[in-house]
Amino acid sequence: MIASLENVSKVFTNPRTGKGLVALNDVSMDVGEGDFLCLIGPSGCGKSTTLNLLAGFELPTSGRVMFKGKEIAGPSPERGVVFQEFSLYPWMTVMQNVAFSVSKGRTKEEREALAMKQLELVGLSDFAHARPNELSGGMKQRVAIARALAMDADLLLMDEPFGSLDEQTRRKMDNEVLRLWEGQGKTVVFVTHSIEEALMLGTRILLMSASPGRIDREWKVDTPWPRDPTSPGMVALKKEISRGLQVCSCASGEPKAAFVEVQGADDRPEMEV
Amino acid sequence: MWKADRVDDKGKMDKKEAAEKALREGRSHFEFRPETRRFLLANAVNIAIGIALVIIAWWVVAEAMIAVRGAFFPTPPETFSALWEALGGAKINGATIYFHTRSSLVRWGLGYALALVIGTIAGMAFGTMGRAYDIGMVPVYIVQMIPGMAWVPIAMLIFGLGESATVFIILMTALPPIVINTAGGIRQAPPIYSRVALMSGKDHFSLFAKVLIPAAALPIIDGMRIGLANGWRVLIAAEMVLGTMVGLGATIEDSRYSLDFVSAFVCIIVICLIGLTIEKLLFSGLEGVVRNRLGLEEEG
Repeated sequence: MIASLENVSKVFTNPRTGKGLVALNDVSMDVGEGDFLCLIGPSGCGKSTTLNLLAGFELPTSGRVMFKGKEIAGPSPERGVVFQEFSLYPWMTVMQNVAFSVSKGRTKEEREALAMKQLELVGLSDFAHARPNELSGGMKQRVAIARALAMDADLLLMDEPFGSLDEQTRRKMDNEVLRLWEGQGKTVVFVTHSIEEALMLGTRILLMSASPGRIDREWKVDTPWPRDPTSPGMVALKKEISRGLQVCSCASGEPKAAFVEVQGADDRPEMEV
Repeated sequence: MWKADRVDDKGKMDKKEAAEKALREGRSHFEFRPETRRFLLANAVNIAIGIALVIIAWWVVAEAMIAVRGAFFPTPPETFSALWEALGGAKINGATIYFHTRSSLVRWGLGYALALVIGTIAGMAFGTMGRAYDIGMVPVYIVQMIPGMAWVPIAMLIFGLGESATVFIILMTALPPIVINTAGGIRQAPPIYSRVALMSGKDHFSLFAKVLIPAAALPIIDGMRIGLANGWRVLIAAEMVLGTMVGLGATIEDSRYSLDFVSAFVCIIVICLIGLTIEKLLFSGLEGVVRNRLGLEEEG
């Protein structure tokens, strides 16, 4: 087990309006070494919050988030994140963006060589000296993946990395992630709202539901890759997960998140730097 | 430069021809001979027309005042011939125009340099610390609301008459926009930029130098630019507390007593020209470079 959530609750409060939001309620899960764990669920179910807790961008209100036996106190290069939105620095070249995240203590040449290697892996070495705004959406996310890989993190956290891409590009990117994952033996936590994407990628699929966010069910998928989405086993599993998603409260039109009145709340929902 | 362009453009067609060829061949991208020269020329013509409009308006007002009030009012020809003489070395208000200009530039440069250093440091501190921002911005906004002229008695009480009082007035008017824009720019940088740096294990210095400052570069430049204009415009008020009548602002101020309004107008023109030159040459260029680096504009 590389990482885990132990009875984690996360509450966001707004001291001005006096409103609070329970994003996660008593969630426990563990991430095993080498897992490709997919978190699926409707928006507002706490998928991204879970990922942010694992990354260390947020700290739990109660419970513990553990990584390699230690409680997570903040972001660390041991856990690389591929963000949902485009996250490259526009004032740096593609190469500089990747090299920026290579752990320090090495010379600039070494960092750039390492960055170049990762860019080759994602097939973008020709664009090393281009600027991010010259790339398409899919290419930008490939650079973000190269950056996370260049960090040489033990845990890769991916928050709907291809959510903003078109269907065809997304499939292509899924296959690339799979290829990189099989080659490097990393542990991945992958957030998505697409059942199909989870089925094509994950060794484990966790279904989350909202109001308040919690984990509903888990499926283990042993089918080897490349997976055929039209095979009987896959179709049956897809149906089962779809049903699970439908019984979840927020899919039936209830409020997206559970609001509670919080007294004496002093922590703000806004992120600190 | 033009020669090199011509050689590079050999074989390139003009805009219309190239577009038609692309349409015929069903291509989506094409190249044509750049029209840099035409654009530069059009730009220069537009600026000339704008300046002409100001001069015409001034002339109309001057003639109207002379006709209606029967009073003296410097017209553009009078002023420009006086400017010409001044540039030739004729003394106005006891010194050459070059001496007045240099004195003003030195005072302004000193006040503005101080404002840049203090403003940038304060802005960066406020921008990163929430509590410091909430408290620190209150005095900054109060200072910003104080009109340039109002600093005259304050400066005199603190420094007496002299150069220090002048520099102080320029500093106080240039400072607020620099602090406000630097702090605001850093606070508005997308949180994801900081998250990327933090997950990469960067320390606070790298976060600042490599991420927050580039991300806030445009608002920071805007603040510097507004501060520059504020400091330059307050020159007249600032030079009131000099005690000696040296400087462009002092000469304008002195025309109230000497009735040498032509010299005052000459100084106004010099102030405008210097302000415009710094704005166009320094800041427009700097902004262009930064916008390009941020990927907001295509190269070339």
